Amino acid sequence: MVTKEEIMKIAILSKLSVGDDEIDKLTQDMSEIISFADTINNAADIESDFDNINNLSNAFREDEVLPSLDREQILKNAKDSDEGCFMVKNIMK
Amino acid sequence: MKYELVAGFETHVELATNTKIFCSCTTEFGGEPNTHCCPICIGLPGTLPKLNKRVVEYAIRAGLATNCEIAEISKMDRKNYCYPDLPKAYQISQYDKPLCEHGYVQLSNGRKIRILRIHIEEDAGKLVHRRGDTLVDYNRGGVPLIEIVTEPDFRSVDEAREYVEKLQLIMRYIGVSDCKMQEGSMRCDVNISVRPEGSDKLGTRTEIKNMNSITFIAKAMEYEYNRQVDLIESGEKVIQETLRYDDVSNTTSSMRGKEDANDYRYFRDPDLVTINVPREMVEDIRQQLPELPEEKKTRYVEELGLPEADAILLTKYRKIAEYFEKAIEGTKTPKTAANFIIGQIFRSVETESEKEEFNVNVTAESLNELIILLDSGKIRMNLAKSTLDKMLETGKKALELIDESDMGGLDENALMDLCRQAVESNPKAVKDFLAGKQKAVKAMVGFVMKNSRGKADAALAEEIIIGIINDSQ
Repeated sequence: MVTKEEIMKIAILSKLSVGDDEIDKLTQDMSEIISFADTINNAADIESDFDNINNLSNAFREDEVLPSLDREQILKNAKDSDEGCFMVKNIMK
Repeated sequence: MKYELVAGFETHVELATNTKIFCSCTTEFGGEPNTHCCPICIGLPGTLPKLNKRVVEYAIRAGLATNCEIAEISKMDRKNYCYPDLPKAYQISQYDKPLCEHGYVQLSNGRKIRILRIHIEEDAGKLVHRRGDTLVDYNRGGVPLIEIVTEPDFRSVDEAREYVEKLQLIMRYIGVSDCKMQEGSMRCDVNISVRPEGSDKLGTRTEIKNMNSITFIAKAMEYEYNRQVDLIESGEKVIQETLRYDDVSNTTSSMRGKEDANDYRYFRDPDLVTINVPREMVEDIRQQLPELPEEKKTRYVEELGLPEADAILLTKYRKIAEYFEKAIEGTKTPKTAANFIIGQIFRSVETESEKEEFNVNVTAESLNELIILLDSGKIRMNLAKSTLDKMLETGKKALELIDESDMGGLDENALMDLCRQAVESNPKAVKDFLAGKQKAVKAMVGFVMKNSRGKADAALAEEIIIGIINDSQ
């Protein structure tokens, strides 16, 4: 079971604001999601490694420099920018 | 009561690859803000990271050089936290399957500092805080790092200092990083706690973050040790927290309550496939490892017969060791080259970074030629020394500075003549010598050296001069 406190903690860590009226429903939803995922614990022993289910490994890239994107392009979707930088609200309190 | 310091290190080392860990942007230091960026390293939706092969190789090198076991299977995980220096709101790192584990670095007092793990991860961007807003530059975002985590094995500030120096030296020798602390390519976090001496229980620890100078690390550790002891002595408790060290006031202050590991909600990064490290690959990398500083030092002492102090100085920088090894090729006494390098050549390299580069006016080949001239008896030590000074000044080779006529020393008759002249023209020195001042003879030897332009054998001249004076009595 997921508790309301856990939901609140996750919300804080995820920087989400959750209204009082939403907590009950979120707690309920999260519990259902987790119990659905728990089904797997009841399955018969499985040898396969869920960690790497597609069995892929070692997709590497060679260490060769390619041109970066123009700064204008990089900053294009930024809400705000200044001096060639992304600008965000002051995070130091 | 006496208290014991207990400390552990987490060291971030920036890898000297050409490109970032998951994209092909350059890792070059500096550059206008946000000009070393692409959709991958600024975390735009729909992009896929791809691991730089060299990052894996360098991390394995670092692991082997610190006696680690290299994992056969490793993977990347996401470490979630919200902060503007991470565009994706997670850092791609490694959680439960790091590339390297269970190594150690041995200190000069014989103690082994155990290395718990070395993992690879991406660096975060740089933040500039202004009044009211914060500017973000992602040039450094995605630059590859290894994080080297030790067990809490340090018992003194001196051990910590030696460890950081050693680690820096090893990483530079194996070429995985330049470890420039002032530029941030090596940064240390230190966990510190104290406990009554003799106790084997760990006290509550604090963590001092992001220090980029060995001096600061030492000062911060001392300050934090005293602060914790004072707290305990006055009946208060140490609170587990993350601290920042301020080098101006030499104090530590709280950054934020330390989050539990599970607060980062680590999980496997589904965008990156498993890393398989075949044993042949590990062996290949092991074969290519250069001789490490510690091994070199031992060899210099045991095989070349150098004093340990010399061996330490010569192995402290890889380029100096390489220079020395070239300079002694085919020569008889390694100690001569060591003396020339430590005594005369070191004078022209003052700063750490100059020693690191070791761009001196005399090439190792020229020094080698000079020593061979000396070994063969063609020139004497005095002439060799003065020639080396001139070589350092002018950048010329030994043979350009020494005349044919200077070589071969002095014949015996000429030396006898000079010694007689020395005695005759220094009556005061003779008197002093006869009155028991042994040192007075040096003035006369100096006369001989000067008038033979350094070609005479000083020891022999001294002997002859003393003989002449005694005979005249």
